[in-house]
Amino acid sequence: MRVALFVTCLVDLMRPRIGFAAIELLEAAGCDVTVPASQTCCGQPAWNSGDRAAAAALAKKVITEFDGSEYVVAPSGSCADQIRNEYPAILAADPEWHARALELSSRVYELTDFLVNVAHLESLPGNFTGSVTYHDSCTGLRSMGIKEQPRALLAKAPGVELKEMVAADECCGFGGTFSVKFGEVSAAIAAKKCGNACASGADAIVGGDLGCLLNIEGKLRRMGNEETQVMHIAEVLTAKK
Amino acid sequence: MESRSRHFKANAAASLANPVLQANLKTAKGKFVDKRAISIKEIDDFEGSREAAKNIRNRVLENLDLWLEKFEENATARGATVLWAKDGEEICRHVAEIGLRHGVKKAAKSKSMLSEEAGLNLALTAAGIRPIETDLGEYILQINDNEPPSHIIAPVVHKSLDEIADLFHQVHKTPRKTEIPALTREAREVLREHFLTADMGISGGNFLVAETGSVALVTNEGNGRMVTTLPHVHVVITGIEKVVPTLEDLSLLMRLLPRSATGQSISNYVSVLTGVKTPAELDGPEHLYFILVDNGRADVVGSEFQDMLRCIRCGACMNHCPVYQTIGGHAYGWVYPGPMGSVLTPLYTGLENAIDLPQAATLCNQCGVVCPVMIPLPELLRKLREKQVEKHLRPWFERIALKTWAWVAGNPPLYALGSWLGVRYLKWLAGGRDRIPVLGVAPGWTLGRDFPAPEGKTFRELYAKKKGR
Amino acid sequence: MNSREDILGRVRAALGRDAVNTVAVRQDIDAVLAARVQGPRPAMPTDLAALTARFAEKSAVQSSTIDRVANLADAPAAVARYLKGLDLSLAAVIWPSLAALDWRAAGLAVEARGAVDSDMVGITGCFCAIAETGTLMACSAPDHPATVSLLPETHIALVPMSRIVPGMEDAWALARAELGSLPRAVNFISGPSRTGDIEQTIVLGAHGPYRVHLVIIEGE
Repeated sequence: MRVALFVTCLVDLMRPRIGFAAIELLEAAGCDVTVPASQTCCGQPAWNSGDRAAAAALAKKVITEFDGSEYVVAPSGSCADQIRNEYPAILAADPEWHARALELSSRVYELTDFLVNVAHLESLPGNFTGSVTYHDSCTGLRSMGIKEQPRALLAKAPGVELKEMVAADECCGFGGTFSVKFGEVSAAIAAKKCGNACASGADAIVGGDLGCLLNIEGKLRRMGNEETQVMHIAEVLTAKK
Repeated sequence: MESRSRHFKANAAASLANPVLQANLKTAKGKFVDKRAISIKEIDDFEGSREAAKNIRNRVLENLDLWLEKFEENATARGATVLWAKDGEEICRHVAEIGLRHGVKKAAKSKSMLSEEAGLNLALTAAGIRPIETDLGEYILQINDNEPPSHIIAPVVHKSLDEIADLFHQVHKTPRKTEIPALTREAREVLREHFLTADMGISGGNFLVAETGSVALVTNEGNGRMVTTLPHVHVVITGIEKVVPTLEDLSLLMRLLPRSATGQSISNYVSVLTGVKTPAELDGPEHLYFILVDNGRADVVGSEFQDMLRCIRCGACMNHCPVYQTIGGHAYGWVYPGPMGSVLTPLYTGLENAIDLPQAATLCNQCGVVCPVMIPLPELLRKLREKQVEKHLRPWFERIALKTWAWVAGNPPLYALGSWLGVRYLKWLAGGRDRIPVLGVAPGWTLGRDFPAPEGKTFRELYAKKKGR
Repeated sequence: MNSREDILGRVRAALGRDAVNTVAVRQDIDAVLAARVQGPRPAMPTDLAALTARFAEKSAVQSSTIDRVANLADAPAAVARYLKGLDLSLAAVIWPSLAALDWRAAGLAVEARGAVDSDMVGITGCFCAIAETGTLMACSAPDHPATVSLLPETHIALVPMSRIVPGMEDAWALARAELGSLPRAVNFISGPSRTGDIEQTIVLGAHGPYRVHLVIIEGE
């Protein structure tokens, strides 16, 4: 299987180690991984802010960049959703681009979904030891159906104990630009998520979307919590301890 | 009702700082959300029922004019008078005229969100008719100086027992009660008097049934039955989008509405009212009026927002919304709060009067998955954001920031340079720590939380180095 | 232009209404009204005994109390037993259609008329009863005044077992078959009135009855 990695702008800028962890997982599953060098952003901030023209321009760029790859995998439910489900809508008015968007859609996957359902990763390259609780990111869950896949992967790690939190599937309050435009409300929602996550007693809060994770980590530290780790699932599955 | 949606941010801040409201919102969330989850298991094919409900509503909206004519025809044939109102002012004029015609001194009202839109109570008072709200929550608001509701099903979800006990004590001049059943009994006794002496009953209409020209009222308290049985005049005020084709359709929707709203399998009373009383009957109104209201709805028909007109006013969206759960309903500033309010308020009161509402959402879609008629709420909110951008309603710094991001993201070498600089700047801001407590470029983030520091190099540069490029 | 024409005009324009599609759609509308398609329905028992048991179960969920008697003639005694058991008044207002039963023998003082505020007990029958939700269907008529089930604090309803149907759709089918056109008021009643407006705490007995007692009559 030939996979082109869509690393996502947040991972690129904030946590490159998640990108490398994703590559390690994909290679462990037997994939050849390439990283198209000119990639930047899927355009979700523009689309969700109502700037259709900018979103369309970035969509066309991504479609072009990932032309010809067998699979496109992103370590993010929301970015994968943007490419798979939103690009066809964004480019609906242009038959040629719409067709290309649909074609790309059929090849795009969120990381855990790909590892479980396409690559059938059997054993993990890491040996993380500790308890984790999993936060279901909204777009990943409700638009991409990501729920069981990360849990199936965590179950393959003998040192991992999964402690589900109350309301794992409720929003953490990130919401992209919402976190900046309505910072106080966003932080208040994050406080509830952090409360639930910590109440699970897990050593680490794990998720599949870096935006959520940065939001949760930032809130935890402001609340005075220095112990609970916040990790992307790719990091947990490849962690060497 | 006048819109205060322009003050959303300030109102939201006040809500966050209100401990009584925060406690009440927490309790309400637990009850509405949990009870709904239990009750929908009774339906067998919940998703199939949602799909059917969506189709029932769409069927009418796609030919709304002719369905309205069919309803009007059948209602009129049973002795009702069907009137039409373009806006709130016209609603008030119609009701005042009806009151005048029939010598009405007192009007008993069961719940009507349309009457909130129109500010009807003030207009009635000005016309010399005393309006009495009879839904317990609406009554509490009325005696509290006409405070607006904060939820479409539970209008005083924001009020505590103590606040209500104080209010009854002050207004009724009775000894202060401390128990909820005692307060409810007191309200029953006060309002019973009004039911018996009201000349006119005013209600909303949960659904209008085209097949029979009937109105369906969904209530629990019995006030809906009271105001439509005892007075000699009944006025129904409802939006033009409320038509459903058949009684079978009503039955299907009645499986979804109470469960989605409060988790009840059925509301205590479902009243399906058709026409006026016959001479031999001992009770019922002699005169029945329907006021079919536009107030922004007609212009949504045929638009990219038409899906919103499917709404059956259950409140599930706001019950499941993380933003509503955190700030309550008053912050939204108009009649309808939460996700459905964030779509309807700009549509009905003007995009420029409710700038923040479509923005104040994480687009998590917790609302969309519970909506019994499958309204794609996040998509409608996003479309409203698009309309705002088209009409240049966004602040200039936001436009510039987004345009800059899009320009840079579209230009890989520029992006490489910008990101190289950006991550190093942020790393420097963190000053050796793993976090940034104050982020000047995006202060909204760091008001309530830290911003984790980046690793300090981008993935692209590290990957290129690894690959020896 | 009057408001009706203004509003309908804008809707017509938005929907692209013309003379041709008006005819076609009107026919569609008539077809829809004739077809009366039902939506998905939960599975319900078909035999009357099981249906009655479901009705009783769901009525209890709605906070109604239930009694069963063999025949209609046994109903007044059952009603008296209930009222005495709760120390309630034995004076009641009843639907005129129930006047022929021997209430006096059971020790009840009844008047067959519409209810007034001072009536404490109201006794009605029902048009039919819905098992799915524990609901009574009451149809207004000169001998079925709606106030009897509304104003008094206690509402007692006689429910003939043969009139228990699975769902609301079946209730409508029965109404169409037996009544032709709808009466002025069809009231579906599912237990005592209630409100949850104060701190989302359910309290029984808002503006309607505080208690609803159902007497299922097996022989009817």
